[in-house]
Amino acid sequence: MIATRRTVLRIGGVILAGLAGTASGSTGEAAEIAMRGNEDGSDVWYDPVGLHVRPGQTIRWTNHDAGNAHTATAYHPHNAGHPTRIPQDAAPWNSDYLLPGESFAVTLLVEGVYDYFCIPHELAGMVGRILRGGSVRRSQTAQRDHRERFVARCIS
Amino acid sequence: MRFSLAALALAGMFASPALAADQVAKAPPDGDYRKVSELVKLPDFLPGLGQLFVDPATLPAGPFLAYDHDGSLVSTIYMLPVADLTDKDKSFDDLAAPGGAVDHVDVYFNAGHPGVEMPHAHVVLWHVRAADEARVAQ
Repeated sequence: MIATRRTVLRIGGVILAGLAGTASGSTGEAAEIAMRGNEDGSDVWYDPVGLHVRPGQTIRWTNHDAGNAHTATAYHPHNAGHPTRIPQDAAPWNSDYLLPGESFAVTLLVEGVYDYFCIPHELAGMVGRILRGGSVRRSQTAQRDHRERFVARCIS
Repeated sequence: MRFSLAALALAGMFASPALAADQVAKAPPDGDYRKVSELVKLPDFLPGLGQLFVDPATLPAGPFLAYDHDGSLVSTIYMLPVADLTDKDKSFDDLAAPGGAVDHVDVYFNAGHPGVEMPHAHVVLWHVRAADEARVAQ
């Protein structure tokens, strides 16, 4: 894997862009998404195509396709007028083209569902989804509320 | 006279491709061809294809000229968008074929790549034997 200067700058940019929303530090190992393609280029995909990440967890895409360039690009009007398919307060990102071995990372600071695509391969169905979970405290609170509602329904 | 003109025309048809083949046999090819990796962000050498050159004015169809690691021409490639192939009002006519003798042809689907982003078909005219495709395998 080649960590380019451009990649590092973009990582910082996305993190800084998100600080106005929900401040968060990086927690644990990065979640890895591979960009893959078969030998003749007839099929391309993200591996995994769907991913759940914890608050503050970094997501890193790496191009493992020796014969192609790929992007990880958020569905957002800033990216060639695409529809918004990320949380309203979240900052969009675009990795630009990654050559084989190059990588790009973001840390999502807003809870929600993020859809993204590969610029040259969107028509071929190379899309992915990230579910960025809420805080542990919020999650525990939600579970407690759910239990209380369930118990209340059982009693009534 | 009519026969002479026809003979000249036929001679010209066969002479031009031979001359063109000489001009493109080694990388870089003559004319307006440019290295694809300098036009768009793609690896300089594509496994299975080789080092590609194209005249940007001919995009997306090409021809793309593909060379091995020694700079020898191995194939001529046309990239034809699937949407165009299924459009009754579109066709690809008079595509240049400067590479000379063709040994065999491969046709297969490609999901897209920088330069030809839409799903398309690769039509590969191999100028080398099938066994020599290994020259551009990696």
